[in-house]
Amino acid sequence: MKKIIFGTILISFFLSCVNQSKKSNEVNLYSQRHYNVDKIQYKNFEELTGIKVNVIKANADELIERMKNEGKNSPADLFITVDVGKLFQASEMGLLQKITIPSLNERVSEDLMDKNGFWVPITYRSRIIVYSNKRVDVSELSTYEDLANEKWRGRILVRSSSNAYNQALMSSMVANLGIEATTKWSESIVKNFARDPKGSDRDQVKAIAAGQGDIAIVNSYYIGLLLSSEKEEELNAGNAISVFFPNQSKGQRGSHINVSGVGLAKNSPNKENAIKLINYLISEEAQKNYVSNSYEYSVNPSIKPDKIVQKWGEFKRDTLDLNLLGKYRQEAIRIFDKTDWK
Amino acid sequence: MEIIKSLLKSQNRKGVILISFLTLVLLLPIIFLLGRIFEFNNENFFYLWDNLLIDYSKNTFYLVIITAIFSLLFAVFPAWLISTSSFYGRKFYDIVLYLPLAIPSYIMAFTYSDILSYTGPMQTFLRDNYPQISNFFNKDYLQIEVLGIIMALSLFPYIYTVSRVSFSLLGSNYINVAKNLGLSSFQTFYKIILPLSRPAIFSGLFLVLMEVLNEYGAVKYFGINTFTTGIFRAWFSMNDVNTATQLSIILLIVVFAVFFIERFLNSKYRYNYKINNNIQNLVKSGFYKTITSNIICGIPFVFGFLFPLIFILNNAISTYQKIDLSNLFLLSKNTVLVALLTAISVIIFAFFVEFIRKISKGKAYGYINQLISLGYALPGAVIAMGLILLFTKINSLFIEISLIGSLFVLIYAYVIRFMAVGKSPISSSFDRHPETYDQTAKNLGAGTFKLFQKLHLPINKFALMVAFILTFIDVMKELPITLILRPFNFDTLATQTYEYAIEEMIPRSSVYSLLIIVIGSILLILLKKTISKSWPN
Repeated sequence: MKKIIFGTILISFFLSCVNQSKKSNEVNLYSQRHYNVDKIQYKNFEELTGIKVNVIKANADELIERMKNEGKNSPADLFITVDVGKLFQASEMGLLQKITIPSLNERVSEDLMDKNGFWVPITYRSRIIVYSNKRVDVSELSTYEDLANEKWRGRILVRSSSNAYNQALMSSMVANLGIEATTKWSESIVKNFARDPKGSDRDQVKAIAAGQGDIAIVNSYYIGLLLSSEKEEELNAGNAISVFFPNQSKGQRGSHINVSGVGLAKNSPNKENAIKLINYLISEEAQKNYVSNSYEYSVNPSIKPDKIVQKWGEFKRDTLDLNLLGKYRQEAIRIFDKTDWK
Repeated sequence: MEIIKSLLKSQNRKGVILISFLTLVLLLPIIFLLGRIFEFNNENFFYLWDNLLIDYSKNTFYLVIITAIFSLLFAVFPAWLISTSSFYGRKFYDIVLYLPLAIPSYIMAFTYSDILSYTGPMQTFLRDNYPQISNFFNKDYLQIEVLGIIMALSLFPYIYTVSRVSFSLLGSNYINVAKNLGLSSFQTFYKIILPLSRPAIFSGLFLVLMEVLNEYGAVKYFGINTFTTGIFRAWFSMNDVNTATQLSIILLIVVFAVFFIERFLNSKYRYNYKINNNIQNLVKSGFYKTITSNIICGIPFVFGFLFPLIFILNNAISTYQKIDLSNLFLLSKNTVLVALLTAISVIIFAFFVEFIRKISKGKAYGYINQLISLGYALPGAVIAMGLILLFTKINSLFIEISLIGSLFVLIYAYVIRFMAVGKSPISSSFDRHPETYDQTAKNLGAGTFKLFQKLHLPINKFALMVAFILTFIDVMKELPITLILRPFNFDTLATQTYEYAIEEMIPRSSVYSLLIIVIGSILLILLKKTISKSWPN
């Protein structure tokens, strides 16, 4: 008897594993974003519309592979990334469908939008330069190209080339300067590295504070996070540096940016709900949430950044077609490898 | 062919069919991966080969060597001291030296890089109190050597556990003989005990090496490109999953070559030693030996567990206001659920396979046994890939509902990955019991089921517990498989820790990693108790 009871419990336990959630009023997200602010957004959306938001969070490439293999059976409605390159890749692979959202250009700056209509940007970040207040004078800084200058020998800090934000920056260099010039640039900048690329963006700032290098290439929102850290020592490190937006002078193209965006899955089973969620994410309310919680920039030009970010001043962004950050990815990777940017 | 022939010849047909079927089920995703080998993208493969892999392989080799040396140091000497001598603190170390296993190695790496960093407690303390020497310690600690030591600190218990058991099984007989022959205690250790324990130590070392080879998060953070970095470079940066699969299969082949070479070398010297059955007399230690013993046992404990624990605890306390308790509870529930289901599946499966191997004999089972453990040599993300391929196929052939993203597939993946962990204690427990038990039972008229129920289940119950606990802890720490295959809205303690850590919010991640460590530690103390019961010496 005991055995039968035990057996039944075990079997029902295993059966309970096969989940059959067949609710219709829901929307399924495959997302690379896993910040606290996202949880808040989805919760607000649920309260507002009654549509349940289901999320799987993983690396963008893993999610792409999963969507590709699931094919028609894929439960995914929306694909959300923090790198436009992956959205471009997904659209090239035929995993996305075009999105039509009325009056989108009233709410989103035009240069941030997808010319092909496959994805919608929800926030953007800039890859900027931070410099030691002690050892660098702001007049020494000018452009990304200038980082190849010999005066920076042994002074530049940056993370590894497997990082998507670095890959996007290199792609933008290829798009703007061509392969040959970018290869030369990369060769010289690698010579200027203070140490082998490693660690996170925050670690590069700490390394400046520690005196291991003088300037670092980092993502803007990490600096926001660092400056809002709970740890006094990290705040001190954050205060030892200043932010510089490169390529700002007249005639220059502006600082490199990358968007976090959302694409509608080819076989989206809850398309209507998915469009509603996209609409919500670019609404003023949601955009304000992004700005104040994760220190990203809003895609809506009328919404100001967080106070911490505002202190760095306004900047001109590179208006390059963002799809090129995905298109030139392979070339960028080869340049990294060829020039030994680890 | 030979395998099939010998399978057919063996005595227990039904068992054979069952076991072959189960093995096939376990290997299916890997077979699907193998299918990808033929979709060869020459260009990317040779590009990686020419440009990066030599370098990556060198780094891998160097990292493996450093980790191996330090984990041996942290494991073998304390195990020897605790097994043979009595000193003040022995009982304490006997329990706590298992604990570092509770800390996932990526958390260990993140934690140490924070402790050692410029804004971390060590350098801050020095700057505030000893400014004159603080500059000396202001270094870049994200180095391959440092990572090797950190990995050793979190992985050495794999070797410690097996050495500890092996040393106490060898016991006093050998030591007494050696002493009578005039060997010093160092000579005894070096010439008698170490060679006799080699198979055990190697089996632990093998697990350590597999863990190092599969590590991705920590090596990426330290900017060290290993072979696994190459696999993910192909996948994530070059969008070429096929090349990534091919590379992981090369890795798999290399790992198994090493494994079989060691097997082969060992089989030349079969050590059939008599298991110690005397109550072992622990050698009393004098003052100086007590101090050295405490240092030798203390270092791996303090650096492998105490320091990181204090740091994580401190972080968790400093962020306690931001902790969402209901979420914490939910994540713990999820974590325990998947760990429990996996551990139960693994021990049932492993026990069954071992039982049939025992009652059927025959060479083929040896091969099957090795095949079942294959999953441990593959990076988790690659196994997950295999499962997605498999279930896509199943979906297109049989059923409409997608099983990918169900707990079932997630557990299936864990079982493949961790079968080796659960099987090894059960396997060695079966090996330890003599044939005569089975024969006697059969003579007394016991059928197969009785043999299973009345003999093998009770005499292997400790091994089952050990297998359960080790698998449970490994699933709790697992990351890549969980990330890719989890159902919607399903988070575990490990994924939440990772999400904060990757966003450079280490303090916020602390409470989640702390809970992994606490649950793991409780289980490990239970494990220690179980081992003490099964080997009273």
